[in-house]
Amino acid sequence: MGSSVQKAIELIFSADPELLNILSTTARVSLTSSILALLLGVPLGILYGAGRFPGRKTLLILNRTLMGMPPVVCGLLFYMLFSGVGPFRHLKLLFTVKLMILAQVVLITPIVVGTMETFVADTAPELRETAKGLGFGRGKRFRLLVNECVYPIFSAYLLAFARAIAEVGAVAMVGGAIAWKTNVMTTAIMMYTNRGSFTLGIALGLILLTLSLIVNVALSLMQGRLSR
Amino acid sequence: MKKSITLLLALVMIFSLAACGQQAAAPAPAEEPAPAEEPVSEGDALIVDTCILKEADDAMINNYSLLAVNPEAPFTDADGKAVADVAINTVGAAALINWLLSEEGQSLAAGYGFDDYGEYLFYLKDGRPVSSAEIPAATEETKLIRLSTTTSVNDSGLLGYLLPKFEETYGYEVDVYSAGTGKSIANAKMGNADLILVHSKKQEEAFIADGFSYTIEGMESERLNWMYNYFVLCGPSADPAGVKDAADVKAAFRAIADGKYAFISRGDGSGTHTKELSLWPEELGITAEAESFEDYTDWYVSANAGMGACLVMAEEMGAYILTDKATFLTFVANDGKIA
Amino acid sequence: MKTTAFTKTYNKRAVLSLPEMELPDGQITAVVGPNGSGKSTFAKILAGIEPADGKKKILSGVSVGYLPQKSFAFRMSTEKNILQNGNDPARAAELMRALGIEPLAKQRAKKLSGGETARMALCRILMGRYDLLILDEPTAAMDMESTLAAEELIRETCSEQGCATLLITHSIQQARRLAERAIVLHRGELVETGTAEQVLNEPRQELTKRFLEYYGV
Repeated sequence: MGSSVQKAIELIFSADPELLNILSTTARVSLTSSILALLLGVPLGILYGAGRFPGRKTLLILNRTLMGMPPVVCGLLFYMLFSGVGPFRHLKLLFTVKLMILAQVVLITPIVVGTMETFVADTAPELRETAKGLGFGRGKRFRLLVNECVYPIFSAYLLAFARAIAEVGAVAMVGGAIAWKTNVMTTAIMMYTNRGSFTLGIALGLILLTLSLIVNVALSLMQGRLSR
Repeated sequence: MKKSITLLLALVMIFSLAACGQQAAAPAPAEEPAPAEEPVSEGDALIVDTCILKEADDAMINNYSLLAVNPEAPFTDADGKAVADVAINTVGAAALINWLLSEEGQSLAAGYGFDDYGEYLFYLKDGRPVSSAEIPAATEETKLIRLSTTTSVNDSGLLGYLLPKFEETYGYEVDVYSAGTGKSIANAKMGNADLILVHSKKQEEAFIADGFSYTIEGMESERLNWMYNYFVLCGPSADPAGVKDAADVKAAFRAIADGKYAFISRGDGSGTHTKELSLWPEELGITAEAESFEDYTDWYVSANAGMGACLVMAEEMGAYILTDKATFLTFVANDGKIA
Repeated sequence: MKTTAFTKTYNKRAVLSLPEMELPDGQITAVVGPNGSGKSTFAKILAGIEPADGKKKILSGVSVGYLPQKSFAFRMSTEKNILQNGNDPARAAELMRALGIEPLAKQRAKKLSGGETARMALCRILMGRYDLLILDEPTAAMDMESTLAAEELIRETCSEQGCATLLITHSIQQARRLAERAIVLHRGELVETGTAEQVLNEPRQELTKRFLEYYGV
């Protein structure tokens, strides 16, 4: 481990252009996909948690199933769909960052939906009773509900980001780990491991964890402020 | 509540990182007599023991071929239905092939490796195809070339050495997709590559027979076999199986099997794996199927991993292994050092 | 105002079946009865939180304010919580002062204790003007002093605003202190109704007597 830490520090300070490219691709993919998943998942989660409509149970079961989808299966699905012989071949998206983001959004959105749904389903009935009792209309009740969600949105985002940055199955299938283009931290770690360069793999892993730590600390600080 | 959990997680991460850091810092001042883990420069404790025992045997020749993907190939989708309009960048593929087979491309490839390893890693084949065709500059449509290749080609660093020169001169952009030979060819069959660079004659011929390749202008064959090198049989320097003195490589493999000396197989359907399977005595019946070596698991290790990872394993177990020379030399150059 | 007769059924089991009842304006009507007698369900149906069987309308043309038994604080300061129900800081300050939570005005309402949250919730509901005010156990989580202050506040508001007030309580003493009228429920049925004086001191029904005895009155 010691030599890996040393290697990680060396790597960072060497400002190796390929490493920087991998880092920026990783950031682009995981930040974009987690934010998109949040934008999609939060409204859906609130709808599933607070809404009363036919088919809600079915949608929830579907969502919970999707939450457990193995990344590699999601990747394989997208690979087949966007392959040169797949139905969406004309979009020419295979082995691009865009498709990696799309695959991750599909993978992560259910997690955001699930997290939000659990929270909202727990809070909404009490809030509704109180707000309706005060004589508030639908619009104001909805705004109050969204206001309650600020805190869990942070938790949902942290989960989404963690999943996005740590995920390898989908990005490897869909991105192809092409150097300078779609290679991210996790696929690079896989590559080095396959080459037997375990030290380098662990060094990259340490950098990944550190990045994750920085994002987590930053968000926690923000969360502390906003929860007032 | 959730905030405290988040902070707790953050703390756990800090501690684990700090713990790693301490491990890094601790050995230097604390331990005076150098144990085996000390850096290589200290002595000969960590020099790789695994060495080349058998090489340059004709049975271990490793031929590299380029195949352009046929835009008219019988592509089928996942359900087996024919797909007609698969986009293949034939102009780009031909440009890259013509460049690799040009005088410039060939001399670059032949010279590769000497500076780093003191040895040439690839040799040009006699009677190889040579191109003097004009190479068109890239246009918006032909700019992106998708090359599907095997990990061993990619790991040798050859493409990283050659391609930037091609890209800079003509303005193309080559996306290198690397996987085991089987997966890499399957990727091309699904319409995701414009050309392939592989080293498995059997699979290349099947690819051609299925109509997935075509002869580009000015060439005589679909399969453009222009480079080769050798697989090498490596093992512990003590060589308990006496492989070094075997008459040929097949006899060497027989000696390993007879003495039940540990052998690491890639086991991943790669070109190296395919080659290894062809070298065992036929009566053992070892194939890619797991049942075929069920009885030999006491010495035959099917690793299902990359070449480098397998080399690490062989080094640790004192086992024999078949590897491409380029990866082995890289491995030795790094002192086989892992964490 | 008058409530129409209605029934309420859960899973094919009748939980509430009540006749037409009178809720006089400007007066406090206490609803008493043992646990499980249907007091809270009665309140929820009147407030429109839950529907009666056949979605029957129980009250018409009446604005209703309802304070649930379990107080809920919105994710904002105590003061802002109260101002949600009418932007009148002076009145809010007056209510908070009356219940002794003025020092907590700027604090996060989610961090208040149970009793403090209950006082905040009472202030919040009293900010509004309703034809009918339903308070479900408003003082259950409060200490003695807060309870007495809250009772005082409820009485004042009711007589000032002239609204009908329905006070759900399990405390006979509180009903006696506050209410002009009383309704006794048992297992979802009306046992007795009348002036609080009469029902709570000289009950006519055997069930009411037993209930009063049980609570040691």
